[in-house]
Amino acid sequence: MDPSRTDLSQADDALVLRAQNGDHDAFGELVNRHQRRVWMVCRQYVGVGEADAAAQDSLVKAFTRIGDFDRRAAFSTWLTRIAINTCLDELRRRRREAIVDDDSEGDDEANLLNRVPDDDAGPEGRSMQKQAVALLAAQEKKLPPRQREIFRLRFYAEMELEEIATTLDVHVGTVKTQLHRAVHKLREELGAFR
Amino acid sequence: MKNHLEEHEFTAAVAGLELEAATEEHLGSCVSCRRQVSAMRDVIDARLEDLEAETPDWERQRQEIMLQLPSMPATQPKRRHLWTRPLLAVAAVLVAAIGLRALWMPAPVADPGVTTELPVEQILAEVDAMLADDSIPGFELIDQGMDDAIFENGTS
Repeated sequence: MDPSRTDLSQADDALVLRAQNGDHDAFGELVNRHQRRVWMVCRQYVGVGEADAAAQDSLVKAFTRIGDFDRRAAFSTWLTRIAINTCLDELRRRRREAIVDDDSEGDDEANLLNRVPDDDAGPEGRSMQKQAVALLAAQEKKLPPRQREIFRLRFYAEMELEEIATTLDVHVGTVKTQLHRAVHKLREELGAFR
Repeated sequence: MKNHLEEHEFTAAVAGLELEAATEEHLGSCVSCRRQVSAMRDVIDARLEDLEAETPDWERQRQEIMLQLPSMPATQPKRRHLWTRPLLAVAAVLVAAIGLRALWMPAPVADPGVTTELPVEQILAEVDAMLADDSIPGFELIDQGMDDAIFENGTS
């Protein structure tokens, strides 16, 4: 963890202590600090249409359960985990309610991630970069679920590798390997633009 | 001087993974490799900008969240008093000391002058009665056999 993140984490701890005693102002400050990342994480799992509701739900849950936060991980990591679990619950709920029968879908979380709604095609434009961005968005969806998840947490939720590992409960080496593969595939697909 | 980056080094550089010193050095000096890395990063950053454009009004979102909060969290942190840890440490040392003493100290020698709670007289009386009872199966045979053996060897 770099020094600025350590400082942020220590400042979070002081706010968490106050929030655990019911201090809404302290929790409001924690929301200010982390709501962008929570939204970005939710955006990757449930899509833009549901991201706001999922992010709000995650943050309210975080306050409700803040007494369980034991500081073994950073508050941001704990919060991200709540956000991911909230999104996975939402995806399960959607699947239960889904009319479309899809036998190919299993029950595991990796397959749940396949139900993440497609991103919009991206901005249509004439510039090469806009085309590249659209292609990246399309190719991202073709990545295996775990690779896509790690790629998005790394680049869009801007999480450190160790934090991703803790959040997903996997070894940091796994995160590196999956990220490596994801970037490699995307680089291949974007070959014309590089 | 290192040649151009290999594919795994490009991907590591794009992913922000730790690079070897030689790779870092090469990236710092090679315009071509640096351009390839930054081209991919630029596309990813541009995609992030697209995503950022969809973000909600943060202040409105914060206000909505604050309205949904209960007055107090449902769970309270597990409190551990300041004296708990030293007290546990002292207790652990005491238990260890007692255990070690039990292992290393010789067993106490029984003092013949001290009476025990066992009914020794009663037990001895029962044993005498059993020995006197010839009807106890096996005793006669054993005794007889032992006597024979002693006589044959000429010892007593």
